Amino acid sequence: MNYTEKILCTRSHEYLLENSDQTYTIGLTDYAVEQLGDIVFLELPEVGAEYKKGESFAAIESVKAASEIYMPISGKIIEINDAVVDSPELLNEDNYEKGWLVKIESSAGDAEIADLMEYEDYKEQL
Amino acid sequence: MTKETFLHDKHVQLGAKMVDFAGWHMPVQYTSIIEEHKTVRESVGLFDVSHMGEVFVSGKDSMEFLNKIVPQDISKLNYEKAVYCQLPNKNGGLIDDLIIYKLGINYWLVICNASRLDEDLNWMVRNKRGFDVKIDNLSHNYSLLAIQGPKAAELLAKMGLDTNQESFTIKPGKVAGIKVMASRTGYTGEDGFEILVENEYSEFLWDKILEEGVEFGIKPIGLGARDTLRLEAALHLYGNDLDECTTPIEAGLSWSIPKDKEADYNGKEVIMNQLQNGTDKKLVALKMLDRSIPRHEYEVYSNGEKVGVVTSGGVSPMLNANIALAYVKNDKNICTGSTVQVMIREKLHDAEVVKKPFIQKKNKIKN
Repeated sequence: MNYTEKILCTRSHEYLLENSDQTYTIGLTDYAVEQLGDIVFLELPEVGAEYKKGESFAAIESVKAASEIYMPISGKIIEINDAVVDSPELLNEDNYEKGWLVKIESSAGDAEIADLMEYEDYKEQL
Repeated sequence: MTKETFLHDKHVQLGAKMVDFAGWHMPVQYTSIIEEHKTVRESVGLFDVSHMGEVFVSGKDSMEFLNKIVPQDISKLNYEKAVYCQLPNKNGGLIDDLIIYKLGINYWLVICNASRLDEDLNWMVRNKRGFDVKIDNLSHNYSLLAIQGPKAAELLAKMGLDTNQESFTIKPGKVAGIKVMASRTGYTGEDGFEILVENEYSEFLWDKILEEGVEFGIKPIGLGARDTLRLEAALHLYGNDLDECTTPIEAGLSWSIPKDKEADYNGKEVIMNQLQNGTDKKLVALKMLDRSIPRHEYEVYSNGEKVGVVTSGGVSPMLNANIALAYVKNDKNICTGSTVQVMIREKLHDAEVVKKPFIQKKNKIKN
């Protein structure tokens, strides 16, 4: 799958991917991963937790820095990627298939999606 | 203006991620900090540390002058030997930590941290009154290349250096036909050399070392791994673990302070008093008991009470654990084997107080 054609991105470097079953996958953009360098720690929320758009839901650390990860839209966590919590370096290898972070279900309307950018627009504003 | 070393373009060509450090444009990493770190521990790495300061001290009273500004006994420093020193202010707090070499009668080399060179020079000049001494900052004339790791000596020997020298000595020599000063020192906890070379030969030497080092698995190493390596070796970083409000005794450097130095020096009263009577705070080494990462300025707790603060923290690739140096109140119940907590994102995480260094150091000490 060519992910960059399907994702929407936030200014804070998260991506939102709509899945075929109408859930969404959230991850970090390749730019974010490249800037972070060696990723050494990931803290993901519990399944069932609910967050609003813009709320911090996870923590990520590289060798040099600690950062938070923010919800692109509001929703409820339905699945987390345990593999990447156990081996954060997977995210450095691939931020889509190996290094996705969480899956959510969301009833967010168009208003929440409006300020998300397509990949090309996201890259341009970097 | 951000300064560039003579090797700046090499780092850019190698694709290094560059950052500003102490006013210099330096490589943080070329590939991965963890990979670079492991390369130094397992084979050999090459660092550009030309941003550091080289100050030459000479003159009739040069020994007495140096003896006044450091707690170490410079009168006992022999020819071609090096000593790790601190530069205390009048209250015993530290302006910098340094290495001093004896290059000849009344002729010394002082290596300073890049971030403190101005302060060190200012301090030296302020303290030279009454001494017949000359202080020459020649940092801009020299490049400094560090070659560190278990294969460092073998690589340099292959390139023509006589590597039959102990740790903490400096000797003139030749590497790939270029005249250098070779110091068997480093900031990694591995065996290795720091090679002082005139700027015009630095690029040639950098390329040649990387070329000849291929068979040993050499990599260029950035400041990111330089920091993780020195932390694993529990070596202090000025600005983090040492500052003007911290004495060498508080910092766990009593081993480097002679108890019987007769000559007076800046901060002697405070330092001797602390050696006798103890300190209010002390440096401890912490190993996290979970996967959370302790970092500079995170608070340390014991029995529900805040007892201190982390000054350096991060990952230890070799231990596959996260480690820190922290200052805590000098309570005898906080000692090797005890458990404390580090506050990370508003939650307390357990850490064990461990012995320093975190890993075994491999310097070649004379038997």
